[in-house]
Amino acid sequence: MSGRDEIMQKLTRTLDQGDGRAARQAAVRAHMAKPGGPVPSIAREEDAVGAFIERAIKADATVSRIASADDLPKALAEELRNRNLPAAIRHGADPMFAGLDWGGLETSVGIGRIEEPATLSRAEFGVAETGTCVLASGADNPVTLTFLGETHFVVLDAGDIHKGYEDMWAALRARGLTPRTVNMVTGPSRSADIGQQLQLGAHGPVALHVFVIG
Amino acid sequence: MTVQSTTPQFKQNTKDALKNANLQTALRDTRNGFVGKRAAAREKMGVDEFEGLRDAARDLKNHTLANLDVYLEMYEEQVRASGGHVHWAKTAEDAQRIVLDICRKADAKTVNKGKTMISEECGINDFLAENGIKPVETDLGEYIIQLRGEHPSHIIAPAVHVTVPEVRDEFRKAHTHLDADRNLDGLDTLLKEARGVLREKYFEAEVGITGANMLIAETGQSIIVTNEGNGDLSQSLPRVHIVMASLEKIVPTLEDSATILRVLARSATGQDMSVYTTFSSGPRRATDPDGPEEYHVVLLDNGRTDMIGTEFQDMLRCIRCGACINHCPVYQTVGGHAYGWVYPGPMGSVLTPSLIGVEEGGQLPNASTFCGRCESVCPMRIPLPKMMRHWREREFEKNLTPSAMRYGLKAWAFVAKRPWLYRVKTRAAIMALGLLGRRKGRFAALPLASGWTGGRDMPAPEGDTFMAQWKAGKRP
Repeated sequence: MSGRDEIMQKLTRTLDQGDGRAARQAAVRAHMAKPGGPVPSIAREEDAVGAFIERAIKADATVSRIASADDLPKALAEELRNRNLPAAIRHGADPMFAGLDWGGLETSVGIGRIEEPATLSRAEFGVAETGTCVLASGADNPVTLTFLGETHFVVLDAGDIHKGYEDMWAALRARGLTPRTVNMVTGPSRSADIGQQLQLGAHGPVALHVFVIG
Repeated sequence: MTVQSTTPQFKQNTKDALKNANLQTALRDTRNGFVGKRAAAREKMGVDEFEGLRDAARDLKNHTLANLDVYLEMYEEQVRASGGHVHWAKTAEDAQRIVLDICRKADAKTVNKGKTMISEECGINDFLAENGIKPVETDLGEYIIQLRGEHPSHIIAPAVHVTVPEVRDEFRKAHTHLDADRNLDGLDTLLKEARGVLREKYFEAEVGITGANMLIAETGQSIIVTNEGNGDLSQSLPRVHIVMASLEKIVPTLEDSATILRVLARSATGQDMSVYTTFSSGPRRATDPDGPEEYHVVLLDNGRTDMIGTEFQDMLRCIRCGACINHCPVYQTVGGHAYGWVYPGPMGSVLTPSLIGVEEGGQLPNASTFCGRCESVCPMRIPLPKMMRHWREREFEKNLTPSAMRYGLKAWAFVAKRPWLYRVKTRAAIMALGLLGRRKGRFAALPLASGWTGGRDMPAPEGDTFMAQWKAGKRP
């Protein structure tokens, strides 16, 4: 007997002592029709954009607002200069980036490499509840850019910021997105494994900056 | 077989732990960190809302466990639909064999690992090494203890027992390709060095192994929750990704995962949300430029289906946040290694006898004062003290308890079941002790109680028993 059959038979035999199989299937259908639990008040703030920014900063990200995507090259160049980073950025094939005039910035398109001083991704959504960016992997925004950049820049439309996780999942479904990975990112990477002292910049980015458009 | 335990030597382990000065320093330094941070996160969210989420999380997991076969089938179907493979492992040996097969087919020489307790449970590292494949732990804490040849002493802070000077020594010994005279004084230089060394390893490995905090039945996704980003690098850079998860990690939907996420980080580290929460499904898509080409899930049972339908089923709600461990006075005193197997603290005291047998793990449920802090902070409201009591009963029934304790318990039960006798005896004992200790007001030593008086004085009783005083009309 295969491991699967052995495990499933044992499980079904035990669970059958309670409700029958048909009752269990009905219970599952009922749950799937109305999933989720209570939505806390932090996930119901009226000013979702304001709450997102405040909480992202609390999670050690930095945030700035720009009026439109056209302002991104200039704002990014300034951020890079202020951080003493080279005037260069690595990003994916996202149509938003392809249509921009990058001016003096050296841009390259592709996946993350072993040394990436600065990378740029477009987040699909933001969640105000915890100041979290939600990215969808793919050619437009390769997942490795999120983790290999020393400094990770994320651009996010203010209209894509949702109050709580439930709203965000509903929006993701409505957009028909089924990427290989959905990455929730809340601040830059960190570790307290040496001496129990929290330090920013473990294996992922040392810094995270979010540009909110609009 | 599962990783070897030293649990039968629990008593000796605790004695060694108490004498280990480095360990005691490390434990003292962390004692209040986790506790304070969880309390602050709960306050910040609002106590009522947080408690409501704990109820919801408990109910959600109860529902999932009661219908687990249906959800597992749904999950498996979704993983297949996304191009992934599900491998069912009845035992730890099965899991080892499955992982080795995948690694061999991938012609793997090096395997990168995110933090996974299931891999620890199955002893994957030693098994791969015996078979000529090099496992590299990439979580910073796991990396440190791998260098030291140890196992984790905490499920979310595996190197919590290691002091900074010990980390420094370990790095000097291991990173011999670096300048021997380099400055390693600051914590930041240590972190940078580990980051640099491990960054190269991510690109070398053919296979990446991670755990899973949850598995979503609706979508077939596996979720990892981390702060460092090592798990994501381990699963997105190698050609093959293996997820090792036990089968109770299932939650029905994405919305349900939000309920668990809302209590997980707050209970663990006091964060509102961990830095990286990643939902993964299947191998890279036709148009994806990165990500693994193969995606495998090893679903481990290893004794868990035997817990369903028993008084230990509630334990399967555990989301491995570590709150019970952080709040346990016994853990805070002896650390994690004394427990002798993979899972320490209260959750380990319940889980270990379930997974490796009461004969081997039966001592752990005795290592509790039943103070109840573990249950009071458990986000899944697992009745840990009650289950430890069940294990004590089973240990007693199986005649595994030492004979002196058995006779002592029987004598005590005889008296306790006869209240008049109990009252006469306690009153006599209290009077005698009060008389003997009248001069000093305390005892530095008492017969049969050296274990207690070894660390502190016993105050001499003053006056009569509570029952006698109450009867005489005294009220507080």
